[in-house]
Amino acid sequence: MRSQTAFEREPARRVFAAEFRETRYQFKDDDDEKSPTYVIFPTGIRSNRVFIVGTLTEKQRQGDQNVFYRGRVVDPTGTFFIMAGSYQPEAMQQLARIEPPAFVAVVGKPNIYTTQDGNHLVSVRTESITVVDRETRDLWVLDTARATLDRLDAFGTTDDARKAMDEYGTEVPHVYRKIVYDALTQVQM
Amino acid sequence: MNLSEVTERISRKLEAKGAQPDRQKIESRLRRLVEEFGVNLTEAERTVTTDLAREYKVSGVGNTSAELRPISEIAAGEWVTIEGKVVALTPPVSPSIAQTGIIADSSGAIRFVTWARSNVPPMEFGQWYRIESAVVDNYKGAPNLKIHSGTTISRIDEDAPLLPSITPIADLKPGVGSVRAKVIQDWEVAHDRMLQTGLLGDESGTIKFVIWKDEEREKLELDTVYNIYYATVDEYNGRLSLVLNTAMYIADEGDIEVGRNETESYGAIVQVAPGSGLIKRCPVEGCNRTLSRQNYCPVHEIQPNFRYDLRIKAVLDDGNRARNVLMQREIVERLTGITLEEAIQIAETNPLGMDEIFYRVRNAVLGHYYSCSGNEFDGRLLVNSCSPMRFDPVKLAELLNRAGGEPA
Repeated sequence: MRSQTAFEREPARRVFAAEFRETRYQFKDDDDEKSPTYVIFPTGIRSNRVFIVGTLTEKQRQGDQNVFYRGRVVDPTGTFFIMAGSYQPEAMQQLARIEPPAFVAVVGKPNIYTTQDGNHLVSVRTESITVVDRETRDLWVLDTARATLDRLDAFGTTDDARKAMDEYGTEVPHVYRKIVYDALTQVQM
Repeated sequence: MNLSEVTERISRKLEAKGAQPDRQKIESRLRRLVEEFGVNLTEAERTVTTDLAREYKVSGVGNTSAELRPISEIAAGEWVTIEGKVVALTPPVSPSIAQTGIIADSSGAIRFVTWARSNVPPMEFGQWYRIESAVVDNYKGAPNLKIHSGTTISRIDEDAPLLPSITPIADLKPGVGSVRAKVIQDWEVAHDRMLQTGLLGDESGTIKFVIWKDEEREKLELDTVYNIYYATVDEYNGRLSLVLNTAMYIADEGDIEVGRNETESYGAIVQVAPGSGLIKRCPVEGCNRTLSRQNYCPVHEIQPNFRYDLRIKAVLDDGNRARNVLMQREIVERLTGITLEEAIQIAETNPLGMDEIFYRVRNAVLGHYYSCSGNEFDGRLLVNSCSPMRFDPVKLAELLNRAGGEPA
């Protein structure tokens, strides 16, 4: 049970694009309208906030009345799709100002949209986006590799990890250990 | 001491054990022993108590309270007899209390409270007393000696020198504590009644201290070591603080290498909160509150002669825990490369004013990795030092081994 007295901010999970893209399990802890929505990543942890660092390769302004921005942020394993709309005015203005390509750090909420033909589109609803440098990107790859390996070590042993095993299968550690390794090899010594 | 007092005391003891004694019966037995058989009252009390305890089949009454106990060993829920010296007297907080203070023996010290209804003679500071049949209870997480109408207090002529035992700061518990510590920070007081507040440290750690204003109290000098005897250790929200109004403090020649029980935290800054950047503070001495944009202090109203300051309120997140951090001016200057003077100049010439500084500060730190250490108060890390994290090829090699170490 979460403490009722002290509000604790949800931590921003570290996750590679290759794992984030495969996420499809979404749930709420209870029926309360205000209770947070979580996703469970394939390596078995719940998240309602992520921190990603990568290269903003593209951004697009869309909509006429309801302006919003889409962007692509690339890490060593794949691409994150990010959005910032009028509900995130600060993030939208930050994104409007950044010219790709640029290293960016993004804090946001994972969002899963299921299309009519059953495909899952996973994106990040941006809370903030700032320009960073290459060193921060490298630090993030190490940080995310460590976090992912920690989760793989605990795979199948926590409640969230057991749910992940049911949803995403038992091959997860095998697949993601390789993804982590490949990501690390792209960081220069 | 008279018969009815003793009667009251005996019946209370028995009642505390669940018995329902008849007070008339107690008094008549006492009277018989004292008046007919010439037994002294103390002995009569002991006899009647043990007899009745046997009759009501209760145990733990009688001897327990008459037996002299070292203060350090008594615990909540006990009836005790102690001998000790009154080492502090504090103003009672309520009219139903006659006296509060601290009584100590060579083993330790305990806070006491004397109820106004108890009708016992007031104790004098610096004198030794024997206190019989007092009750120990738990007050704010610390043992507390209650002196009630059934308690006997007698002054004793003892003038043994009393050397309080010094406790390392890290081992303090709620109650009473004596420390040898150095004043390492002197904070601005946030309250009219407060004389001084800051941080004390010894080899084992640090603790916040408070001195409330009263006539005899003097301030501590920064960077000076003090022997502090019989301070009150309070607990609030799981954190301890030392109130020196009950204490004697004497400056000491020596020096102490202060141990840092600092919290170290690393991660990425994932949020920079409003109220970061350039702020205005209330210039009234001891206030220091943040002013609104219209220079309004919640206490001292409009303050046109505010002073500027820089700070960052942010969230440092390591992926498992999001921690609130507060950085003061020197750290903000170092992390952002903007000095207070530059920030003031920019704010006064730029059309966005103070907002411009917020944006610059935010863009400089948001999304970056830092390693910070500091002291935690109210769920917020007050940062004492903070540096950007640097890429470490050794870590990369370790992670490569870890990821590739098992058959893929």
